[in-house]
Amino acid sequence: MSSSYNQLLPTAARSLLSSCRSPIRTAPMAPVFLGFHQQVRGAKNNPQAKGKKDLPVKKGRKGPKEFRQKNLKDVEQFALCDAMRYIRAAEVGREPALSKYEIHVRLRTMRDGPVIRNMLRFPHSVQTESRICVICPPGSRHEKEARAAGAVLVGEKDVFEAVKNGKIEFDRCIAHPDSLDALNKAGLGRILGPRGLMPSAKHGTVVEDVAARVEMLRGGTVYRERDAVIRLPIGQLGFSPEQLRDNLRATIDQIKKDAAALNDRINKEIYEVVLSSTHGPGFSLNGEFKTDSSPDSLSLSGA
Amino acid sequence: MVNLFKRMRKLQTILNIRVGTGAAIFPSAPSATKDFPAITRLHLTYARKIYHGHQGARHFWRNCLPRLKYHNPAVQVTVKQTDDQEGPAALTIYFAEQASKAAGLNAATITDKHAPAPTDTEKTTTVDVKNIDYKEIWNKVMMMTGAQEVTPTTEEEAQLKKLEQMKQRAEQDRARVQGIRQAKKDQERMLQEARGEVEKLKEL
Repeated sequence: MSSSYNQLLPTAARSLLSSCRSPIRTAPMAPVFLGFHQQVRGAKNNPQAKGKKDLPVKKGRKGPKEFRQKNLKDVEQFALCDAMRYIRAAEVGREPALSKYEIHVRLRTMRDGPVIRNMLRFPHSVQTESRICVICPPGSRHEKEARAAGAVLVGEKDVFEAVKNGKIEFDRCIAHPDSLDALNKAGLGRILGPRGLMPSAKHGTVVEDVAARVEMLRGGTVYRERDAVIRLPIGQLGFSPEQLRDNLRATIDQIKKDAAALNDRINKEIYEVVLSSTHGPGFSLNGEFKTDSSPDSLSLSGA
Repeated sequence: MVNLFKRMRKLQTILNIRVGTGAAIFPSAPSATKDFPAITRLHLTYARKIYHGHQGARHFWRNCLPRLKYHNPAVQVTVKQTDDQEGPAALTIYFAEQASKAAGLNAATITDKHAPAPTDTEKTTTVDVKNIDYKEIWNKVMMMTGAQEVTPTTEEEAQLKKLEQMKQRAEQDRARVQGIRQAKKDQERMLQEARGEVEKLKEL
């Protein structure tokens, strides 16, 4: 133990230390120091050890090049109707407009390299009614266009007032560049920011062509791959199994197409599809539609 | 990615949706009798907080309704949470054709204004569920509707037992690991103090 100390301290201090070491090392402290001695080597945040030697720091070894995906043979998988039955039970009594089915498509893919990102139109619309707010100068051409495209809330001052009063009756927000200054001055970032509604150029929610954007937002669902998983809402809770199946098929087909459209050398394939919901558990799907024990599809639809 | 084993272990808790208080099958159109007509819908209203006796109703929603919904997927269930703590906590049962006799005995005089209106062929009975435990609510519901309880199979029972054992084991392990972590932390703190003393000595 003393040797380790002598290495770490300058000579002057060493002699000083040796002269008065005994009072420090009282009996109960001894085991603690012992632990210290062991720790010096491995401790990452030990300033003394760092200054002492320029040991070649072991860089974090590069992990596997692909996302590690385990063998699914032990995974309990469900038919669509059975999974829906559980999910509907777990979501019982929830506001049907708020709860959605969602899927998580897990991919076998490289850790780096391109990711899938695209937009998709479902055969059965997921959003009950996407209420879109457009912030643009009142009375302008854009206002008329936005309203025509189906925006619910259009304006500048009155929108700000409503938001400040806590009345947020929209779930998407787009701004026209002309109103950006007014928007920033109004200081709504604190209210809209946490909800992800604050328009910003980075997210593509500050655009010139407001009307086209509104059209787009109303129609499609945007998805992207993150850490080898694509997550997206796929249906309302009231959907029948057939409707959900149609949406699921459309999604999987689209994702397969996206994967094929990427560079030739990049190989992405779907590895697992998990059906979940806003409040419910997730069920790995086995690709079957229903089993013998699953209830008829009529009873699995509706609120 | 979540550990596969952990994930599957967690998924086993869906067993709680299948068995437990409230796992029962309501009489449906084919199995309805004169005494116990088919059930078409349920509606529950209660207040957001638990005081003034709204606890049981909330627990009923949390515990029993998922199981009921699992075993009776066709029965629509709606739940309304109000902000009115003084207001009623009420469970409305919708019978096809006519209400059961037992329902008539239990019917409360309260009205639930949040409950959706019954259709022409439905008869409703409202139960006051204020200030009663969810198990009592369930007993009442069972008595009124003639629901047949689903008894867990031996496998399910074995699994339940296993899960319970795992839970107890987890508690012990948690305490053990907490001890280890605390010991490590204490040691680090003492080291820090000791190092401080060395620095002081250096300055001397």
